[in-house]
Amino acid sequence: MNRKRTVGQFGMHSVFRRRGAVLAVVFSLIFMAPTLASDDAYEVRRATQECFRAVATRLRPSLVKIETVGGTQPLTAAPRRIATPIPLEEGSERAPRSQTPFRDTLGSKFVIAGGPVTGLVYSSDGYIITSSFNFVRDPALISVTLADGRHLVADLVARDHVRKLALLKVDADDLVVPEWVSHQDVRVGQWAIALGLGFGGRDASITVGIVSAWRRMQGNAIQTDAKLNPANYGGPLCDLSGRVIGIAVPMAQRPGELAGVEFYDAGIGFAVPRERVDAIAAELMTGRSFYRGWLGIVLDPRRKDAAIVTNIADPSPMQAVGVLPGDRIVRANGTEIDHFGHLVQALYMIPAGETVPLEIERDDERFTVQVTLARSVDLGSLPDLTEPFDPADPQPQTPEDSSEGDGG
Amino acid sequence: MLQLARVQEVRQRSRRFVTSRGLKPAARASISIAPLIQRGIGWMIFVATCLVAVEVFAGGGFDRAIAAVRPRVVKLYGLSVGREKGYGSGVLVSADGLVLTVSSILLDGQNVRAVLFDGSLYAAKLVRRDETRQLALLQLGPAAEEGAEPAAVDDAEVGPFPFFDIACRRPGDALPAADGAVDCDALLQPADWVLAAGNPFKVAEGAEPVSISHGVFSTRTRLDAKRRVREFPYHGDVLVIDAVTSNPGSPGSALVNLDGAFVGMIGRVVKSNRTHTHFNYAMPRDVLYEFLLEAKTPEVTGDDALLVRSSDSGGEVERLDTGIRITRTAYVRIPPLVDRVRRGSLAAGAGVRRDDLILSINGETVADVEAYDKRMSRLSNNESIVLVIRRGRRILSVRIEPQMSEEAVKP
Repeated sequence: MNRKRTVGQFGMHSVFRRRGAVLAVVFSLIFMAPTLASDDAYEVRRATQECFRAVATRLRPSLVKIETVGGTQPLTAAPRRIATPIPLEEGSERAPRSQTPFRDTLGSKFVIAGGPVTGLVYSSDGYIITSSFNFVRDPALISVTLADGRHLVADLVARDHVRKLALLKVDADDLVVPEWVSHQDVRVGQWAIALGLGFGGRDASITVGIVSAWRRMQGNAIQTDAKLNPANYGGPLCDLSGRVIGIAVPMAQRPGELAGVEFYDAGIGFAVPRERVDAIAAELMTGRSFYRGWLGIVLDPRRKDAAIVTNIADPSPMQAVGVLPGDRIVRANGTEIDHFGHLVQALYMIPAGETVPLEIERDDERFTVQVTLARSVDLGSLPDLTEPFDPADPQPQTPEDSSEGDGG
Repeated sequence: MLQLARVQEVRQRSRRFVTSRGLKPAARASISIAPLIQRGIGWMIFVATCLVAVEVFAGGGFDRAIAAVRPRVVKLYGLSVGREKGYGSGVLVSADGLVLTVSSILLDGQNVRAVLFDGSLYAAKLVRRDETRQLALLQLGPAAEEGAEPAAVDDAEVGPFPFFDIACRRPGDALPAADGAVDCDALLQPADWVLAAGNPFKVAEGAEPVSISHGVFSTRTRLDAKRRVREFPYHGDVLVIDAVTSNPGSPGSALVNLDGAFVGMIGRVVKSNRTHTHFNYAMPRDVLYEFLLEAKTPEVTGDDALLVRSSDSGGEVERLDTGIRITRTAYVRIPPLVDRVRRGSLAAGAGVRRDDLILSINGETVADVEAYDKRMSRLSNNESIVLVIRRGRRILSVRIEPQMSEEAVKP
């Protein structure tokens, strides 16, 4: 049997289209192993690169190029004259954000350059899933180029600012939906191929790695060492059969719109798996966006060994459940809390509107409250205390930077 | 570890293959011989997997490529200034000792040294330098005697050296087609394995072989203004790879495919404005070949390094007047929205209307007014342009010809 031929045929679509064809070839290679000559490692390498390419070819019809026009500058780079806030969220009717310590800031000296980004067809009737990271500038117009060359205007249906997903809708009813693989069938160590259109051009850019871990970010993400960066955020992470493992998003164990940028190309990347995407997309389709969830409290910055509430915004979720200054948070969502960092860890993946159990200690008595996290815009101001909160004080309350004002 | 994981993957896949063919668990229950068959197949798979593991993955499959690339890469040492490291890598591109590398500060000193794969030491002289593409060509002199300084480069013949013949062509490009020159696009397709061979962090010393790192070729793209790679005037094509190669000493490393064919050279370290990380890329073979051809043209004398400047700057040209006026506010980062179209102008003739939103000019996205201005200022008055515009919920493409009047709007 001529092995070169086998390898050559391997890349053909007709062969590849059948699910498991890849397995069959790998399988046949296994049985050929005893007869293999010394440089067959080379042939296996060849076969794998054909596999990677076939994955890209298979997924290409479901990839869309997203371009944005207009939008705000990153806050840190904003010209002085537009320093009065451009609302990051709609429906902000309260006082300017600069007056409150609870801000969903971009919080990073970061320039977001232009250029196309990637999305993946979610349903044949025009829904496209991508990463919310691609729209942090709130662009005035989003246009989508389908694989067949059609260029369409897209509506931003809703965003999940916590899991970093976004749902777009275009007027089309014949989109090619990719096959997904269940979270359960993803194994650590398997090949993971990330595709993106961020470098432009018709063909997807490809980066290859393995699945490094799963159930990361409190069960919200699969970790990979494929090189993820804005050129492929919003695009699919696939297995060797061309099934989608997840949507590549920037993430880190901290809240914030740009959390995860520190991991660009670092061999640490995250993708939201199918089950999460389905659950979130179902909500996004109704127009509901997910925002960062807040408790609306300030913790005592002097205590490094305990999370002691020193001030509570009025109104705020913690006020609603009757938490008082001096209360100690001992447990949040099942996690023991010893300091501010623990609290952030426990809550950073829980969006506003969801309810978490908090165990509170007051005068040696413990009780549990069910707190529904709120959006920052729904938090009131902090009442004046005997030790007034000083916004100029660099230590306590800028939520993005290790502060005590944060609820996750 | 990675290799082990791959073996496990193969094993698990083959198990699932068996399962999917119905040998488990229903077969086990009904036919008494089934467990034996299953066990037998299981063992066969296990044994075969072990064989694959030992035979296939132990080698890694890169031997051929590594054997090809190692002797053709040189370690370079030169001037070190501040944080600029005085070491790098280079690629032998001719039997008589021409070395291709990246233009850098290390070449500015008087004593540039090259160490070959066998540890032999040579003086290297700068032949040609291109500040746009940031490339340089060096000539090696005679080999140094054991323990002695190498002799200066003169006109005497040296070599022969092992080298990469980088002659190539791309379909439709302007390079003179040398006889039998390879099509460099055929050498490398997205997802192909690539190996970079060079001396990052000058880990390799003397006769030690250069460091090899691996990854896949992601895509060929332009380093255009949109991505504004800092301090890098070159805006042509590059090969994006997912191997980590933007380390000190890496520039000038050879990039080869699985067959050991030369496909590119790691360029100078640049930071991508897009990701704010070091950008892992290589200069494509055809770009390098173009530079080599230029460097070999007769007017280059053997004197000092000759500075070649990009010819694309051109002279002043009269600007194109389309007749489009864009909505302007104090805030620059707004999309280019047509405020007014002058009656009788080119744009009016082409069908551009008020409130059209301009998405791109000649295929280049203009995200805001600033980008629009920049792009328009580069157009000359005899150039036809294609605008992609949004009108309502439709996206249209409009061609504006220098002397055109009839309707040309097509959906």
